[in-house]
Amino acid sequence: MSDPAISIRNLTKIYPVPFRRERIVAVKNLSLEVEAGQVYGLLGPNGSGKSTTMKIVLGLVPPTTGTTEIFGRDSSQVDSREDVGFLPENPYFYKFLTGQETLHFFGKLCGLQGSGLKDRTDELLKLVGLENARNRRLGGYSKGMLQRIGLAQALIQNPRLLVLDEPTAGVDPAGSREIRDLILDFKSRGITVLLCSHLLGHVQEICDRIGILHQGSLIREGKLDELISIENQTEMILEDSSPELLAEIESLISKSNARLVEKRKPQTTLERFFLEVTKK
Amino acid sequence: MTDSPATIPARTRHKIFSFARVKAISGNTLLELIRLKVFYFLLLFALVIIGFSAFVLNFTFQEQFQVLKDVSLGAMSIFTVLLAVLSTAMLLPKDIEDRTLYTILAKPVPRFEYLLGKLLGVLLMLLVATLLMSAMFGAALYLRQEMVVSATLRGAGNATPDQVQAAIREIKQQTFTSSLVPGIIAIYLKAALCASITLFISTFATSWIFTILTSVMVYFIGHIQSTAREYWLASGNGSQLAKIFMFFVTLIFPDLQLFNLVDDIVAGNSIQMAMFWKTAGLGLSYSCVYLLAAYFVFSAKEL
Repeated sequence: MSDPAISIRNLTKIYPVPFRRERIVAVKNLSLEVEAGQVYGLLGPNGSGKSTTMKIVLGLVPPTTGTTEIFGRDSSQVDSREDVGFLPENPYFYKFLTGQETLHFFGKLCGLQGSGLKDRTDELLKLVGLENARNRRLGGYSKGMLQRIGLAQALIQNPRLLVLDEPTAGVDPAGSREIRDLILDFKSRGITVLLCSHLLGHVQEICDRIGILHQGSLIREGKLDELISIENQTEMILEDSSPELLAEIESLISKSNARLVEKRKPQTTLERFFLEVTKK
Repeated sequence: MTDSPATIPARTRHKIFSFARVKAISGNTLLELIRLKVFYFLLLFALVIIGFSAFVLNFTFQEQFQVLKDVSLGAMSIFTVLLAVLSTAMLLPKDIEDRTLYTILAKPVPRFEYLLGKLLGVLLMLLVATLLMSAMFGAALYLRQEMVVSATLRGAGNATPDQVQAAIREIKQQTFTSSLVPGIIAIYLKAALCASITLFISTFATSWIFTILTSVMVYFIGHIQSTAREYWLASGNGSQLAKIFMFFVTLIFPDLQLFNLVDDIVAGNSIQMAMFWKTAGLGLSYSCVYLLAAYFVFSAKEL
């Protein structure tokens, strides 16, 4: 059996408060695994320990106790990061670099060079739709463009794991949809994604599993479908149904032990409506 | 966005130390400093040289060369140290504040390589700045020499050709002395050492202002420590505790006065090469020690 993409065991992180005796427990005895090929959503309110967990997984912060592994390699070791691409929340790259120079810089850090680096840069700029802005400095990029160049740099060495912190924060609905489509595309290519987001609608659309952190502890974890489905209810959506048919169904329901909880016209989402209107 | 199948990039196996990664970081740092227009600083240097070249017109030619060398090398020393401290102080805090550091260290980049790359980038910038300032200084010195030679030829009067040649030879000997090159190298090494000290301070400083102020303080302590030590020892009234304190001050703060060869150059004294190499070795050793100290602090830093 192959190693999980991320394995976190008994992770605890305590931050000391300078000049005080008190300590802040950011993560409490956390254990979880993210299987390869999954899109995993790590959720929680502000201060729940998501960012700390992510930083420990990326080796930016050492744990107080516990271990974290990436594809079986200790994530505190630098070589484990060969398999990881990271997009931080609100990424600010070097504003003095152009989009193309940014990808060249990060590619070189991953050991790419020559025509391999050039081809990969061209391919990623095309993938994230920034071909026309490749020679523009990042100081002149919009928030959505920065997010996209951030995704491109995260993918530069073709990692097996992507860690995305609020990838759609501050991006307009169309850009947000494009990023979500890209994440689904990564999944279809077998790339594992660890996603942190406050936008629960987005998480619901793309994640296979989720974990909910609260005050440093994992309070819920599992397959998304299983966690949010209401077991004793069934939803049917009918198209072109006559009033007679509806009356008949309601009559059948009233004769049975079941209870009609709600009857309403389904609505499109505001996002779909917005995208349709702005497409014209 | 357009979708397209991903190609697998040709990736090399991870190395514990990679010069290519260090080169990428140092090249990027140099580019950052260039695009921040730090070399505009050199315009000030040019103005200082031009200003003093005009100021010394009425002096004897020996005095003209002395003042020009004194002012130019002094300005070169101050400008390189200022460039070193100011440009190094903001590198690390800016990367942390902008979170670019997260993105870099989330790649397979050891922290030592990151620090070394940043320092090398600053050292490259200082090298370019020192070379440009040396070129400006050399040009000013050459122009002054040619003006003095022309004036000598014009005023030769009844002097014999041998006397004229001897006068010109003396002028040229006074212009470009052999001590200029080691003097300029010492200026560069002092700036490089200041950059290492500043990098070390920036690994634990809470702001770049604190980094700059502390670095300037270390610069002054480095300049006065030898004088203070000599005074203390000569007075003979230092307690044992004071001597231990002085020992640690001497050990921690490099004696920056050693790098000051301008006085010898201006006086026309030749610089002893043994002394020069000792100073250069000291500068490089201290730079390495401060880089390692920076690494030990930075490797334990929680980002």
